[in-house]
Amino acid sequence: MTDSSRLWLQRAILLVAILAAWEACARLVSDRWISSPVAIAERLAQWMAGDLWYHMMITGTEIGAGLAIGIPLGVLTGMLLGRSKRMAAVFRPFIVLMNSLPIVALTPLLIMWFGLGMQPKIVLVAFVSFLLMFFNSFSGARAVDEELMDTLALMGASAKERFVKVVVPSCLTWTIAGLKNALPYALIAAVIGEMMLSRNGLGHLITRSAQQFDMTGIYTALFVLMVVGGLINEGTTQLENRLLRWRHLETRGR
Amino acid sequence: MSHLQLIRPEPATGATPARRRKISLDKVAVDFTTRGKTFRAVDDVTIEVPEMQFLALVGPSGCGKSTVLNMVAGLLAPSEGSVTYDGAPVEAANTRVGYMTQKDTLLPWRSVADNIGIAFELRCRKANAAERRERVAEMIDLVGLKGFERHFPAELSGGMRKRAALARMLIYEPETLLLDEPFAALDAQLRILMQQELLRLVERRQMTVILVTHDLEEAVLMADRVMVFTSGPGRIRTERDIPFERPRNAMELRFRPEFSAIHEELWSELKDEFAASVERERRAQ
Repeated sequence: MTDSSRLWLQRAILLVAILAAWEACARLVSDRWISSPVAIAERLAQWMAGDLWYHMMITGTEIGAGLAIGIPLGVLTGMLLGRSKRMAAVFRPFIVLMNSLPIVALTPLLIMWFGLGMQPKIVLVAFVSFLLMFFNSFSGARAVDEELMDTLALMGASAKERFVKVVVPSCLTWTIAGLKNALPYALIAAVIGEMMLSRNGLGHLITRSAQQFDMTGIYTALFVLMVVGGLINEGTTQLENRLLRWRHLETRGR
Repeated sequence: MSHLQLIRPEPATGATPARRRKISLDKVAVDFTTRGKTFRAVDDVTIEVPEMQFLALVGPSGCGKSTVLNMVAGLLAPSEGSVTYDGAPVEAANTRVGYMTQKDTLLPWRSVADNIGIAFELRCRKANAAERRERVAEMIDLVGLKGFERHFPAELSGGMRKRAALARMLIYEPETLLLDEPFAALDAQLRILMQQELLRLVERRQMTVILVTHDLEEAVLMADRVMVFTSGPGRIRTERDIPFERPRNAMELRFRPEFSAIHEELWSELKDEFAASVERERRAQ
């Protein structure tokens, strides 16, 4: 047996053990607070035949639209500001202040501004992802190796060419790191927005279940969120591996 | 030294006077400030390099040789004095020179081939894809990196990275080369080969060169003129024309008695500076 298949076997055993203990607890003691794996599986099947996809679509659209606004804006402004010493100095205190604000605390304000539909969640996701991408790209642009910039300048590269060929790729490490933060945060932002006030989305599934004191519903919604979050994480890791191969070679040591 | 007259009867002046002055540093001084303390890295340096001359600067490390190159490249302004290139003061990055710095400045996210070909992606040196591929392949062959085209810099040894950087600079054939210890990371055999290749190219393209090295043998083998720098602050201690023929065969030259004579003469100047620099470092600790 290879090392990796043994590892997976051990993980599977642990998972089965946890589920078995949970199920046993639910049956022998009470499933009032903890529901049970079987009940959750049944509910999941029921939802999948019903409106789960609709709610997922809503949350997915909010996240997608928010990221589509926040990421490019954040990356671009971060890189541009980071390259200008003056601008960086002027903006620094504001950036620090913005960074210390727990962004989800803006949710009530945004709901008042934009109402109950998808807009406040999109704005929230955009805001969160903008800030995270901005901070990372900003630091990345500050950390560009000036000798590489000089090298290209001597070859006759224009300021724009240097930006495209040196600043952007060397920021990529930072951008990807930002992305690895921003994507899970985008999910959090969207779900919190939905939990506060809304009629649909995965966050709404949780609040709806909670209002009906439906433990199984809460656990099922949490399970779905866990799977979605896991998929997002896996996606960014794959992207990172693909885009930053040179970086891994560097850090692995020579 | 009398035996030198065997080589060439008239005292060579490095280049014929008719040649245009390419690079000139006039009474240049450079001050650096670190941790509130100012120190002078280069002091009262005057250098004139005529077109097509190969000048070598030798001296212990930290004597300001690299600072001279930075000024000619336009990356550093002198604190005193002036630097001109083709008669015009150097004020911004000098795009007429190819500069190979001590640290290889390959872009870590680009493969060897993409690094070497980058000059042809720029608007000012644009070349079509086929031509670029061909030139890159030629260059890779020249510096002996065949088979490593798709490798990233992090996958190469220090010497290989140096060769890639050399190829990247040579590929667009700048009229002037500034070389800062270009062969330091190479093993002995490869260094000899690369020195010969570089000589061939420089002679064929009639390039002007300033080579910074602390390898005196390399300086005498390749250059038309050698300047010895003092250690901290860097001043010119002495300079000497190297009267060997062009084109030059560096492999054969190093075994000639005239070569040893010049080497010995310059070494007697240089060794005091090395001793002084070691002494200075010991005191600094």
